[in-house]
Parts: sequence; structure tokens; C-alpha cells
Amino acid sequence: MFLILGGILVAYALLAPLTSLEAAQSANVPLLADRLWFRIATYIAMFIVLASAWNIIGGIAGYAAFGNVAFFGIGAYTTGMLIAKAKWPFLAALPLAPVVAAAFAAVVGLPLLRLRGHYFAVASLGVGVAVGELVQNIDYAGQPVFGGATGLFLPIYSIENRGLFFFYLMVLAAALAVAVTWLVLRSRFGYGLIAIRENEEAAAVIGVNTTAYKVAAFTLAAALTGLTGGIFSQWNVFINQDNTFPIEYNVQMILMALLGGTGTVFGPAAGAVLLQLLIQFLGGTLPISFEIPFVSENARPIVAQVILGVLLVVVVLFVPRGVIEFFGGRARFSLAYLRRSLRETSL
Amino acid sequence: MSATAAPQLELRSVTKRFGGVAAVDGVTFEVREGEIVGIIGPNGAGKTTLLNCISGIHRLDGGDIRWRGDSISGMPPHRIARLGIGRTFQIVRPFGSMTVRENAAVGALFGSADARRRPREAFELADHVLELVGLEAKARHPVSALTIPDRKRLEVARAVATRPRLLLLDEVMAGLNNVEIDAALEMVETVHATGVTVLLIEHVMRVIVGVCRRAIVLDFGQVLAEGEPESVLRDERVIQAYLGERYAKRRHTDPGRDGP
Repeated sequence: MFLILGGILVAYALLAPLTSLEAAQSANVPLLADRLWFRIATYIAMFIVLASAWNIIGGIAGYAAFGNVAFFGIGAYTTGMLIAKAKWPFLAALPLAPVVAAAFAAVVGLPLLRLRGHYFAVASLGVGVAVGELVQNIDYAGQPVFGGATGLFLPIYSIENRGLFFFYLMVLAAALAVAVTWLVLRSRFGYGLIAIRENEEAAAVIGVNTTAYKVAAFTLAAALTGLTGGIFSQWNVFINQDNTFPIEYNVQMILMALLGGTGTVFGPAAGAVLLQLLIQFLGGTLPISFEIPFVSENARPIVAQVILGVLLVVVVLFVPRGVIEFFGGRARFSLAYLRRSLRETSL
Repeated sequence: MSATAAPQLELRSVTKRFGGVAAVDGVTFEVREGEIVGIIGPNGAGKTTLLNCISGIHRLDGGDIRWRGDSISGMPPHRIARLGIGRTFQIVRPFGSMTVRENAAVGALFGSADARRRPREAFELADHVLELVGLEAKARHPVSALTIPDRKRLEVARAVATRPRLLLLDEVMAGLNNVEIDAALEMVETVHATGVTVLLIEHVMRVIVGVCRRAIVLDFGQVLAEGEPESVLRDERVIQAYLGERYAKRRHTDPGRDGP
């Protein structure tokens, strides 16, 4: 049932943009997609990658990384610099985004992943913030190396139906992220990561090279995250610290994975769709909008953040294994379910 | 000399300190291939610390541990596991989100280097091991549905699935009742019969006397006595360490009483 429904939704999401093509319009296919739809749909695909990538280190290996946005920014600036400064073509510059992000993750992962629990979470958050600050503030001979506070402008990628191109590129990246998760969960690598999450010492004494596995998971997450950063930089044409190292992305990708179900194949993707739609809805950018009572239009983003924060608490307390559980028929949403979840997540 | 090859496991003045306390203090002994050796000793004698030293969780502060003639001191736990040394934990550490079968299969996926398996073969081996320890009926259960004795079995199953040549068992019988102990004893003997050397820590005297041909007594991190279980348990120093001086004195003046 849910599978068919989900399939129809995905098919619609993938095919609707095609109605914006001139050929479709001249053939009188009703217009289902406009520019705004492209942006939202592309963002959704982007967050499917971010949440799925976080799921590999945070959900499957159980290391709550709070600084993954660093890899997004590094990917964006790698591609951005190569295009803007070295005049590389986009498709040549893009593959280097995951490579540089992964290399960075391997280097910082070795010391960071020795930390456990809260210590790792805080340290990774620190790295996430620090990289963004560095990128904005590194000067050489009085000139900002990475565009500084002004940011970096990229030449517009000249291709027909640009919106469509970047939408499908991002969808490809999302499909790749989900496929990688699927492969990981079926491999020895995945079982090793789950063993690390459940009990690291027990994993070590059955022969799991815990350090290598953790660094590999972190690096894999970084590669996927960096790839999206690279796509984002050319899609958005302008990159700066604010749009490539936003701290709220760290929270959002984790919330998406939690909402959908950590450690699962489709959970983070489902969470990304739900939460991104909610964020756009609260932000007032969806066609169906609403007025938040007693809140002026200016305060709207802040109120949206508050609602997201409350949602985070509710999800963690009441739906700790995510909503994807209900689609698989393994659980039914009920008061008893909420009560049991609350018992499991409280001391 | 040809019949008595190098011992499988050899400990030479192994020492481990925590701050100023030597939890394991110059322990020397050997384990030969195919033996079942028991380590006993009062609480805090250093038994678990010793297992942690062998399996690489603790780094040694002194001495050397040799596996088939080569030093394994300072090796990380996963490399020691791959050499063929498996272990269980006293407080069981199952992978909680997995089923019983998956727990055993993970052991088979990793484990000793020459016995590594692909996922499909690992699950076949897991089924075989679960049968060996008597958990086959609960293969599909989540770990949370298992009783304490069954969790201990699962702990052994996961270690056995790594295809060890030496299995270190840390109090797998603790907390079990007499019937459960009998079943667990049978399990240890079944595993041993497949060609696995067993080094077990135990509090329960029956276990030591029942399955071990050799027992090593630890006290304050040192080897107090070593030999056949029956004679070791009659040793005056062992009785004192275990049951206290008062008991030993009383036993002295009242020879009609039986030993532990």
C-alpha cells in the first residue's frame, strides 16, 4: 500500500518538472512545475543526501557528528574555487568536491573519532564552525584567499533548462546516497559499523578494526556531503560562509534522520522530504501558506526555528526509531507506542 | 621435545597497574593446545584484568604475552581476535538492535583471519553455532527477548562464531542456577570438543572441578597456586585466600569438615 503510494509520489516528483519544458508546453501538457517548485524540490533532494550521509556515521555507526556541514562547505568551496579562480569547467571541478571533503574527513577523523559520546559531538561541532570561519578569514598578501566576507561568484553554467538540470543532478546524488546506504547495510562493513554502535569493545574483540571502520564511515559521509556542496555551489552561483556553512544544517540533517529513522535505508530520505516541506511551509514559501497568529512577518523565521526545536524534542522523546517504522508495518502509531517510546528514551 | 611443541598461549610476568595498584602482578603460566584451564580467585584478584590483557583491551605495563611463540603484547584487540583468540564478557555485551542470529553472524563475518566469511556463509555458520550452544529455536528473536542464561549462551555463540583456536570465557556461569550450570557445562564441553582450547574464569567451584584439568589460582594479582583442580582446592593458601583465615583455622581444628 505505502509502497505504491510512495512510488506514485516519487514518480510525480520526478516527472512534474518535465512539464516546464517548452516541448511539453507547446503540446499543451498542463504546467505542474514552476521555478519555485524547482528550488524546493532541489533543496529536498539536497537534504536527502545530507541526511543519508549523516545516517552513515551518526545512524549506522552511532557517532553523533554535529559538524557535517563542514564537508558541505568544503565541497562547495572546492568546486567554487576551481570554477571561479582556476576557470575549470563545472563537470571537471565537481568530482574534486567529494575527494577534498573525504580527505579532510580522514585527517580530522583520526583524532576526533577517538572521542566518544558527547565529547565527539561537541568536538565535531567545533570543527564544523572552525572550517567556516577559516574559509572566510584566510588572507594571503592582504587578499582573501576564498573570497572572504564578500563570498565567491561563479559564472552561470550555460545549459538549456538549467533548473531542470540541477534538479536532476541533485536527484542523482540523492539516489546515490540512498543506494550507498543500502549497500553499506548489506555488507560486512555495515555489520561492523552496527557492532561498533551497539558496543565498541565487543566489536573489537570479534575482530572489527574499529578505528579504520569509524574513519571510513566518516569519510564516506563526507564524500557524499561534499558532492552536494559541489553541486550547490554551481547551482546557486554565489557562495559565502552563510550559505555553505550554516550551522542550522547540522541540526536539520540530524533531525531529518531521526524523524525518518536512523540506521535505515529510506528513513533519512523520508525525514528529509517531510522536514524540508515543513521548513518551507513555516517559512511561507509553499503555495499553501498560513498566517502564524500574533507573529509578524519579520519574526517568522525565528518562530520557524522554535517550532523545529520543539519538534526535535518531541521526535527524540516519542518517535525514537523514526516514522519509517510505520510504513514498513513494523509498528502502529498509537498512545501505547508513544508511552513505550517515552519509557525507552528516559532514564 | 617433538611431542611438546611451543605452548599455544604463554604469559611471562604479565603486569598491569591501575594508578598505584598492580591488578595483575607478574603472572606467568602457559596454556597448551586442546586444554581446558580454569582461573579462579576471590573478587578483585585480577582475573578479568588478566583476560583484558590477553585480548588486547589493556596494554601491559610489564611482561610479555606470546601466541604460538610470537609476542602479541601491544597488539590492538581486533588483530588479536583475528589471530584466533575469542572471548566473552562477564557482563554480556550483545548487539542489542540485532536478532540472535545476526549477533552470531557478525562474529562469523569477522573473527579469525583464515576463517572470514561472506555474509551468506556467515549466516550459515551462525545457524550451526546457535545449534551448538542450544539457541537455534530462538535464532529469530531479538536479543531483548532472551533470558539471562540465554544471553550468556549468545555471548559464547558470538565468540565461537569467530572460529577461535583459543576461547576466553569470563564467568559464563555466574548468576545461573544448578540446572542452567549443567547445561552451560555441557555447552563448554561441546565447544571444546570441536577443537577449541578453553581458558575460563569461574567463581563456581563445581565448574572448575567438573571440566578443567588444570586450575590457576589468582590472588592480589599473583598466581597463588597451579595444578589439578582437586589438589589446588585443598591447598591451604587457596582456602585462606578464598574463604578467609577464620575458616582456614576452624578447618584446621575441625578436620571432620569438608573443604569447599
